[in-house]
Amino acid sequence: MAQEQMNQAQDKKIELVITTPRGVKFMEKADMVIMRCVDGDLGVLPGHAPVSAALGDGIFRIINDGVEQKLAVFGGIAEIEGNRVNVFSTIAQRPEEIDRERAEADRRLAEATMQEISETQQIRKLQVLLRHALIRIEVSSHLEEAEYVKHGEHANHEEKNSEEAASQE
Amino acid sequence: MASMKEIKQRIENVSSTENIIRAMDLVASTKLHRLRERLEGVRPIYRELKRVAAEIGREEKVKANVFYAERNVRSSLYIVITADQGFSGAYNANIASKALEHMEGKKEKILAVGAKGLEYFTQKKKNIIRKLIDLPDAHVYYGTESLAGWVQDLFLSEQVDEVFVAYTRFHNVLSYEPCVEKLLPVPTNGEPGGFSSRKYEPDLETFIENVIFLYLHMCLFAAFTEAHTSEQAARMVSMDAAQKNAEEMIEKLIHMYNRKRQAAITQELSEIIGGSNIINKGDPDDKEYR
Repeated sequence: MAQEQMNQAQDKKIELVITTPRGVKFMEKADMVIMRCVDGDLGVLPGHAPVSAALGDGIFRIINDGVEQKLAVFGGIAEIEGNRVNVFSTIAQRPEEIDRERAEADRRLAEATMQEISETQQIRKLQVLLRHALIRIEVSSHLEEAEYVKHGEHANHEEKNSEEAASQE
Repeated sequence: MASMKEIKQRIENVSSTENIIRAMDLVASTKLHRLRERLEGVRPIYRELKRVAAEIGREEKVKANVFYAERNVRSSLYIVITADQGFSGAYNANIASKALEHMEGKKEKILAVGAKGLEYFTQKKKNIIRKLIDLPDAHVYYGTESLAGWVQDLFLSEQVDEVFVAYTRFHNVLSYEPCVEKLLPVPTNGEPGGFSSRKYEPDLETFIENVIFLYLHMCLFAAFTEAHTSEQAARMVSMDAAQKNAEEMIEKLIHMYNRKRQAAITQELSEIIGGSNIINKGDPDDKEYR
């Protein structure tokens, strides 16, 4: 039994079919495929047990006769049964289909925006710090002023008192 | 009988209309060509996802899942896809009346896609909860993606207990049929198979969530594409017919014009001949020349 399964596995290859909204994108035989699932990679060899998997965003690797191909697959599901692997995804791109310049531009944009966001967050933090500092300074200067006023008033008061005393006299 | 000037004016009118018709025919046929390609692309994934979704439903454990369990139906969501303009024969009327027929006896909530459907259901005083008009072809894909999210939210928050989509399925340029399809709860088409050896990664619940969203998105995208393709086909056919009619009409008008023109010439000639005869008779020197 085990021997039979081994033989089967050796004779046969995986029939891989990737379907996207633009039609059947990819139809090939492969020795092994490795796909990115929601919680990690899943490698499939011929004769795999029936599994249905939810795919995540990642690199879909197809190995056939020692040659490895890579596809970009974003989300979707995979149906694995025996030697058949059916993948349904909204996006599956071959290397030659990818607009490298656009991807680079997207990366720069995303990084710059994140930088900006973290900068604005930092600025916000600094603004809070500044505001707090300013309030503290103002409040403490009020204290000085108040003390000064207090002293002044006190002095005046004494003067007045002395004046009053003088007039009474 | 109209005068020659009037007929000429008529011919001009009809031929300028014919030009417009020809332009619309051209636009429709180009769009049809592009949409057919898109339709060929989306059909396989639509069919397969429908199968996958139905197959999961046959598992015993899934029966109680929120997307599969039959609920007590209080209100039903109908997504009715019509066109934004007419000029397409009975296309809009067919799909709207089909949807109306299906709604009978249900408490409906309608998402009207296309101005014609909105008009129709407003006239019938139906409960329209959202409208979607003037959606350009290029935005259909992402539009249906956000729509799938909206439908899912509405269904999960129990504001609707059933979801139907009414669209026109495209067979070929001359034949398309209006149909109403149930999206949620997912129809399983068959008895539950009970135990199956299939495993799910990472687990069944997560897998179903993934499948359902993709399923809704692809069903809606396919429905929109089918409807738009049928619309363009219907428009092309009716524009062809209109063009033929216009050509016939122009031909008739030209005949009429020519006959009028000849009649006028004949009349003028006979007037001239008659006039000259009278003049000749009355001339005293005439006899000498003969």
